Amino acid sequence: MTDLAERRGMETNVYQPAEDSHLLAEVAAGDIDESDLVLEVGTGSGYVSEFVKNETNARVLGSDVNPHACSNARERGVEAVRADLVSPFRDAVFDAVLFNPPYLPTDPDEERDDWMERALSGGESGREVIDPFLDSVGRVLAPDGRVYLLVSSLSGVEEVVSRASENGFSAVALRDESFPFETLSILKLIR
Amino acid sequence: MKKSLMDIICCPLDKQELELDARQEEGEEVIFGTLTCTQCGERYPIEDGIPNLLPPDMREA
Repeated sequence: MTDLAERRGMETNVYQPAEDSHLLAEVAAGDIDESDLVLEVGTGSGYVSEFVKNETNARVLGSDVNPHACSNARERGVEAVRADLVSPFRDAVFDAVLFNPPYLPTDPDEERDDWMERALSGGESGREVIDPFLDSVGRVLAPDGRVYLLVSSLSGVEEVVSRASENGFSAVALRDESFPFETLSILKLIR
Repeated sequence: MKKSLMDIICCPLDKQELELDARQEEGEEVIFGTLTCTQCGERYPIEDGIPNLLPPDMREA
């Protein structure tokens, strides 16, 4: 028998699929066509990319800053690219970009320096990765391209919508789901 | 990485085209090789089929 801490200790390098991953995968797959070129930013284990690829037959790329995540995703058959957000992708190429960002608000004094922390922590506001993503994703989207972004009540949905709006996006919530400590929403951002 | 990825990726620094030097291939897949920016000359490795397109200052981790 292993306790929770030990079980968590078994995987310290790559975020494993959880409720948020399932929600993003399901909602995005229902809205993506076979002809779409799709990028999942921060693919982690590759679960969401694999699910969307299998459900829709679309070409799906998975990017991550974490080399262990890139290897995991590739083992699942996902085309993996090690990247910082959308920086190495060409202008206007993607029909859809998916992102389940690190969003947990974290006290800077308690932040650990490892890959799991990078996968979970959104800095003090919870939006320290979401904000630069919203500021840069427009460049790589095709004219009719859209973003599927998972947001949590913990990091503030209104603030995310307002940052998206500053970047020329309007937001629609495709699905909300309540959990004991947070509500998760999938926002679809379009221009 | 698939060779067709070349139409999708660019240099993360100046967004210019990359040139592929494939050292090991399996069909359409490049397993080992180097991507070089045609503008600034920065080089990015491809290892075990995964291109590392992090900007150089983020690469060491």
